[in-house]
Amino acid sequence: MTKLRTARFALGMTVVALPLALALLGPLFAGGPGPRAASFTLGAGHRLGTDFVGRDVWRQVLHSGRPVVLTALAATTLSYLVALPVGLLAALTRRRLLEELLMRPLDVLLAVPSLLLILLASTVFSPGPVGLALLVALVNVPDAARLVRAAAAEAAARPAVEALRMQGETWWRTAVGYVGRSMLRTLAADTGTRLTGVLYLVATAAFLGAGVAPDAADWAVMVDRNRIGLFVQPWAVVVPALLIVALTTGTNLLFDAALVDARPSDRGRGRGTRLLDPIRTTRSRAGSEARP
Amino acid sequence: MSGLRSFVARRLLLGVLQTIAVVLLVFALIEALPGDAAVALAGDQPDPARIAALREAMHLDRPAHERLTDWVTGLLHGELGTSLSSGRPVGQYICDGFGPTLLLATLTAALLVPAGFGLGVLAARHEGRLADRLISSVTLAVYAVPEFALGILLVTVFALQLRWLPPTAVGYGTDLLGHPAALVLPVLVLLARPVCSLSRLVRAGMIDALASPYVAQARRYGISGARIRYTHALPGALAPAAQQLARTVDWLLCGVIVVEALYVIPGLGTVLLDAVAERDVPVVQGLAVVFGLLTVVLNLGADLVTHRLAPRAGVIA
Repeated sequence: MTKLRTARFALGMTVVALPLALALLGPLFAGGPGPRAASFTLGAGHRLGTDFVGRDVWRQVLHSGRPVVLTALAATTLSYLVALPVGLLAALTRRRLLEELLMRPLDVLLAVPSLLLILLASTVFSPGPVGLALLVALVNVPDAARLVRAAAAEAAARPAVEALRMQGETWWRTAVGYVGRSMLRTLAADTGTRLTGVLYLVATAAFLGAGVAPDAADWAVMVDRNRIGLFVQPWAVVVPALLIVALTTGTNLLFDAALVDARPSDRGRGRGTRLLDPIRTTRSRAGSEARP
Repeated sequence: MSGLRSFVARRLLLGVLQTIAVVLLVFALIEALPGDAAVALAGDQPDPARIAALREAMHLDRPAHERLTDWVTGLLHGELGTSLSSGRPVGQYICDGFGPTLLLATLTAALLVPAGFGLGVLAARHEGRLADRLISSVTLAVYAVPEFALGILLVTVFALQLRWLPPTAVGYGTDLLGHPAALVLPVLVLLARPVCSLSRLVRAGMIDALASPYVAQARRYGISGARIRYTHALPGALAPAAQQLARTVDWLLCGVIVVEALYVIPGLGTVLLDAVAERDVPVVQGLAVVFGLLTVVLNLGADLVTHRLAPRAGVIA
């Protein structure tokens, strides 16, 4: 199966390379804003025509990738910044009350649909990109914290941790040095799925107009705003939509291929455990470890 | 079996807590407004008359706990308040949008199970061969794609280039069943993500089940392949798939909002988005409570089903 894995890895790399390069390097090559032309025209010096307010589509495409990628990365990082300490503390504490206090509110929050929460917040605030990243991070915290806790609880129950405790090692060394390190693989697999989910949420929220200015430079916003001109000028919609598809698909393929051997549940099982969905393995693992 | 009963009791308790949390969270929306809520909501037209009208309509001059009590009492009686922009009761908005959304959800759910299970079983039967590799790769790729991007690309191909299907449901109103062609793309887009995740789970579960000793024993008895697959192996593969059902609920809800916006279907998602754009807080709150409660109840159902199928893999509770 390694051949298939390498093939998928290469495929993922190829698919994700273009949108990622455009997103990160695009603004450097975009140049200054040109004169505005008529809306939804084709040709006339514009490689991909003009958009709904007469801006050059190619230039907009170059500028619009960065917010999507950066917001998604920031949101993923932020959610782990909260989830890691909370999950670790809940798994390692000896006080049952503290664990309940940390985890139960998160269980309750799990029930709120993610997009609904973002839409609710954008009714009363105008969140902006930073606010959007914070909101997306917030809806990801409960799930991430549960996963961290489940992975850490498994490591914390090992005899090695008892030994570390009896040797009088510091909490930091036990928690970060041993437990933290032994759950790195589970975390890596989860990062992949979470990043895919966050990309989805960031793009969808931007498409629905939550957390972005109406004329913001953002691929999802481009799809939304230019869709009224789809029949006249399809490029302004199709190019950003294809880039988003490539970005999300490529990320998922890449992480799936890269993390095959990072999936912990493949150990000790018979045939047919290759190529499992990372979501399923980590989640069912988290589920079964949550209630031993 | 006391374990089951206590699990059910704990899960029901969590459901009640989640319901309370949803209601409080939705109510807190107004309290979270910076400064004077009426001024903040007036937004672009901050004339004193409008601010006074908003304050009057939302009873902002009364203390928060009294408003909360009134609101919750109203909810218990099925009264969700009145719209700020039109003065119509929120319940009427929900009634109007309910039909199309229910139609979309029913069609999707009805197609999701056969499609997801069919693909999963098909891939598991041909494990490692071309069909499996194709299904696995495609489901893995499509699984991550946001509905709006997929939807707009499908519109471009099927409505713009091939002219097979109408691009949106504009002009059909709520009579969608009379125009089935307008439903094809929305349902297809809604199905895309859940089918992918479901079929991957079914595939993994089927492969495990087909390799298990009890299936080998059934083979030794000479039971036919199809019967082994569907009556012996598939039930064993159900549990992980059922666990995914709860997640699918969240997706379908997100998906319905996006799909209705994309294909201009006058359902609950469109009502919600319009209300968000107009900052019509009572309508947003009413819809959020309905959506939130729906999610809580469906999650509860999915967890109970999962527990019934796989008592060992304790779901949260």
